[in-house]
Amino acid sequence: MTSRSAEPVTTGAPALEIQDVVAGYGGGDVLHGVTMQVYEGGITCVVGPNGAGKSTLLGTISGLLNPRLGRVSLRGERLSGKSPRQVLDMGVVLVPQNHSLFREMTVRENIVLGGYILRQRGLADRRLDSVLEMFPQVTEWLGKKAGSLSGGQQRLVEFARCLMLDPSLVILDEPSMGLSPKVLKSVFDAVRMMNKQGKTILLVEQNARAGLRLSTHGVVLENGRVRLAGSGSEVLHHPEIGALYLGGAVTAPPGSGTPGPDAPAAVPAAGAAAPDAGVAGSESAANGTAPR
Amino acid sequence: MGRQLSEAIVDGILGGSVYALMAVGLTLIFGVLDIINIAQGILVVLGGYLSYVLSVHLHLDLFVGLLVTVPAMFIVGVAIQWAFIRPLRGRERTSMSLLATYAVAIIIEGILYIIFGSNYVNLSASYTTTGPKIFGFYLNYIYIYGFLMALVLVVGIYYTLYRTQFGRTIRATMQDHTAARIVGINVNRVQALTFGIGVAVTAAGGMVFGATGGGFNPNTGYDLISRLLAIVILGGLGSIAGAMVAAIFMITLEGVVTVLWSPSWSVVVFYGALVVVLAFRPQGLLGRKAARAQ
Repeated sequence: MTSRSAEPVTTGAPALEIQDVVAGYGGGDVLHGVTMQVYEGGITCVVGPNGAGKSTLLGTISGLLNPRLGRVSLRGERLSGKSPRQVLDMGVVLVPQNHSLFREMTVRENIVLGGYILRQRGLADRRLDSVLEMFPQVTEWLGKKAGSLSGGQQRLVEFARCLMLDPSLVILDEPSMGLSPKVLKSVFDAVRMMNKQGKTILLVEQNARAGLRLSTHGVVLENGRVRLAGSGSEVLHHPEIGALYLGGAVTAPPGSGTPGPDAPAAVPAAGAAAPDAGVAGSESAANGTAPR
Repeated sequence: MGRQLSEAIVDGILGGSVYALMAVGLTLIFGVLDIINIAQGILVVLGGYLSYVLSVHLHLDLFVGLLVTVPAMFIVGVAIQWAFIRPLRGRERTSMSLLATYAVAIIIEGILYIIFGSNYVNLSASYTTTGPKIFGFYLNYIYIYGFLMALVLVVGIYYTLYRTQFGRTIRATMQDHTAARIVGINVNRVQALTFGIGVAVTAAGGMVFGATGGGFNPNTGYDLISRLLAIVILGGLGSIAGAMVAAIFMITLEGVVTVLWSPSWSVVVFYGALVVVLAFRPQGLLGRKAARAQ
């Protein structure tokens, strides 16, 4: 387990390890040997230009695509080569880039389908209750057709749906896609909340600046290779990266409202908690009282 | 004329329900697999022949025989899906499926010719020739029994689709393959089972068809598939409610034109109605406008 030279703020062991992954869809490789880690309890953001292989990377992790070479493992257990169903069984869920709700079905049916692989009826019902507790606004839409909701609302329902499995790793492919800045904030708040509930988050963002600000770790992917990895603010403030992907260097002074300084505070709390339902629940109760 | 007209309407509604059953199978298969099963017509005929064998050689009642033929046709459907549909991949899948299922139709037709020859076959039982007198004409019981059975099966399919977890997985797969896989649905398995169900209903449809019409031979499949395609396209491809409405509408229309005008015009009006409806509603009566996301 050789760690990369640019070891970011150490938060915990890597939850997900991607080693020398080469993968692509039919017409040639898109990823040319990607090696990176997703740290337990953190939010890791992958940024990069179009065609860098971000979505291919997520497809490879979630079992939609098998890597041609290399290996993906979750806490030491091999993930690559498994079916999407087996990946779900291991507690890894994907919220894809394009809206993935079943448009002709109600919001309730959509969320219930999120727990499709749960075999116990009672467990699914309990999960539904706790998911709705986490996303109270979704309760009002339960009877509506998913296709009738706005883009931001659909995102929240997708988040609620993916939490039905009480996953330990949540993968988000461009959650900001097509959302207005105001809606974007509520979606990112939801991401932060899921993280505080103990979910490790892997995020791909076209909106690199907003994505990195949200994240504890950043990875820059370029032409199917990792160009740079570090803490969220390191990548955000890296001069070259700023010039290339963020439309000019970021000059915001550290500590002026960016979550950079918040991150170390949030991370150990989440990292200390084992990512299982019971602890996440008690932790959320603690979160309600501790800060502010 | 009044008596004939009422007979045509009653026959159309009752007989149309059986077409509805066959069409629901076809449209369900299209909705979940994106393929048009050209073999659906010959499979109806195969179902009819299975009922014929059980009734003539084993003296099983036609409806009791369905307990054998429906599961048998389900297995035939799953096997066809596995052998001919599953290997089709890529962008040309839908058009390739036309050729593949057409080939299946020709193979089954050939086998039926070898076994049964080209003579027309009728399914008969006590209730295929007797019945009550209503509106001044005699209605054979088979029309009523067939209608009730079609009703039960269609309602059963509807209930399964909208009220059960399995039905939810079918509808989810109809709407979005990738999203279905993301929540852990085994899309391949759903496709195989759906094809099996879509073909299984042809056994019931084929039995009633063989017991009510002027008989069938292996060539009847082509006439059937033309009508079924017209019905599912009129109803809106992939729409189950649309297939039911369109089946009853078309078969009744055909019967009424036969009475009011002439049998030779009924076929023209049948397909003419399709063209007229599609000119105004290209997506069919109850079809969705947008294609399903992959």
